[in-house]
Amino acid sequence: MAKLLEVQGLTKRFGGLVAINDLSFYVEEGEVLGLMGPNGAGKTTVFSIIMGDYRADSGEVFFKGKDITNLPTYQRVRMGIARTYQVPRPFKEMTIFEDVRIGSMAPGIIKCLTGKAAAHDAVVRKILEDVGLKERLSMYPDELTMGDLRRAELARALAINPKLLLLDEIFAGLTVAEIEEIDKLLRRKIEEGLNFIVVSHDLKALAPLVDRVVVIHFGQLIAEGSFDQIIKNEKVKAAYFG
Amino acid sequence: MILIKSLRWWLIGIAVMCIMPLFVSGGVLRLCIMANFMVIFAVSWDMMSGYTGYVSFGHPFLIGLAGYVTAILSDQGGFQALHIVLPLHITLPLGVAAAVGAGMLFFMPSMRVRGPYFSMVSLAFLMIINILMIAIRPDITGGDRGLSGLPAVVTGLVPNYYLSLGLMFAVAIGLWYVGRSDVGKIIVAIRMDEDVVEASGISTYKFKRFAFILSALTAGIGGVFYTHYLGSISPGGAFSTAFLWDIIISSTVGGMGTIVGPMFGGYFLTFILEYLRPYLFGTWRFFTYSVVALFLIVYRPRGFYGIAQDIMNRFRRRRIGGEVYG
Repeated sequence: MAKLLEVQGLTKRFGGLVAINDLSFYVEEGEVLGLMGPNGAGKTTVFSIIMGDYRADSGEVFFKGKDITNLPTYQRVRMGIARTYQVPRPFKEMTIFEDVRIGSMAPGIIKCLTGKAAAHDAVVRKILEDVGLKERLSMYPDELTMGDLRRAELARALAINPKLLLLDEIFAGLTVAEIEEIDKLLRRKIEEGLNFIVVSHDLKALAPLVDRVVVIHFGQLIAEGSFDQIIKNEKVKAAYFG
Repeated sequence: MILIKSLRWWLIGIAVMCIMPLFVSGGVLRLCIMANFMVIFAVSWDMMSGYTGYVSFGHPFLIGLAGYVTAILSDQGGFQALHIVLPLHITLPLGVAAAVGAGMLFFMPSMRVRGPYFSMVSLAFLMIINILMIAIRPDITGGDRGLSGLPAVVTGLVPNYYLSLGLMFAVAIGLWYVGRSDVGKIIVAIRMDEDVVEASGISTYKFKRFAFILSALTAGIGGVFYTHYLGSISPGGAFSTAFLWDIIISSTVGGMGTIVGPMFGGYFLTFILEYLRPYLFGTWRFFTYSVVALFLIVYRPRGFYGIAQDIMNRFRRRRIGGEVYG
């Protein structure tokens, strides 16, 4: 199967700290990849490098076979990569509907001026309905629970209509029922052809969702394989339990 | 439909302001002209700083530069000795173009830095041009004393009132339309979280640049007409921190990021400064309004517009009895 995303030899240093060290992995078309690792392993940093929020000190990122290492974030997004954040980052003074609408906007100033930039409001409503926020369209972030905020974040990312979605701790702080809802939604999106890289500490939620898992520790790849293989891996056990 | 409904309020505002000369004294009309120009400067600053959150201390740089260019090139200007005197219909657009051009040349690179760094860079430009206008070729710029005796665009109080009124409404409605369009929503989102906007596939630099060009353009328009209305320009007036302070106060007291708020703020500031005159002398006047402004900024950061909005929302909720949006 063709590789949708490939990172090769990524290294990122913050001062004297090596956050990512010569890391390489890939995501194939139609695949859901789990990215695991203990706290501080560098998972979010990997996401930030893929998105272009951070520039890697060395290494390359390829998407659909094109080198995107030096592209700005917005161009990567337009190519089809989107993300959610570990701590939800809603637009504080916007309603959830307005917030998600930003994700659906086309980049042209003229289109934005003439009101033709955003996807039809009905599309945005449908996405919000899909994530279970139909009743909360006119609410502001400070009126929502953590679960709702995560769903709104997911909705904004979906409004971009991505090919690959990077989910950072999407299940954190959610109730069991909320996790099940999100899980259902993600499965539906997978069937529709959306690819994911999922970072989660909730292994129970992660296990049935992912096709393959990559485990990193101190920014280095320590294991790769199916979820069942990974949890039996000695290096992974050592990284998690010492 | 919503746009037409909102435009109706603008039309009522224009109609009321148009009949003002019939009812008010010349003194009040003169104040209104000053207020109209202050509104232009305040809404233009608001487009840049209130919407994007990039607080500019360099706005008088753009206004003053536009004013100086038209002043130097027109009758009684600095080029008169060289026998270069251009008519106003050429000097006015050149002044505006200078504001936009200089803004792009100097400010745009500094937009790559965020927060206080941008503010400091913009303030540096204001300081530099102040010095330059005094020190470099005073035979052209008029040096410390500036240039005076400049030709008027129109003569008479009432024509000047209508000119300033027309300019004010043209600028304000234009910026208000941009503010309520998707461009405005993106610019506001940039203020809230620039990284997330970028991660939504939108080039924040492009939208900030657009907001800045609009801001420079409208500052330039205000600058050239204001200069010819006053008939003079000097570094002490055009590039002073007091002038900068007035613009920022008008915008913040009215309600940043709203366009309508700074319009109210511009009028409020101009009139309150004048009507405090018999009671408070000299610097006490400025001290008092500065304290009032600071109080409002700290306790009501959304300004008068925010206060009005809160009151309206309370009434609306009571009438509808629950959720507003669907």
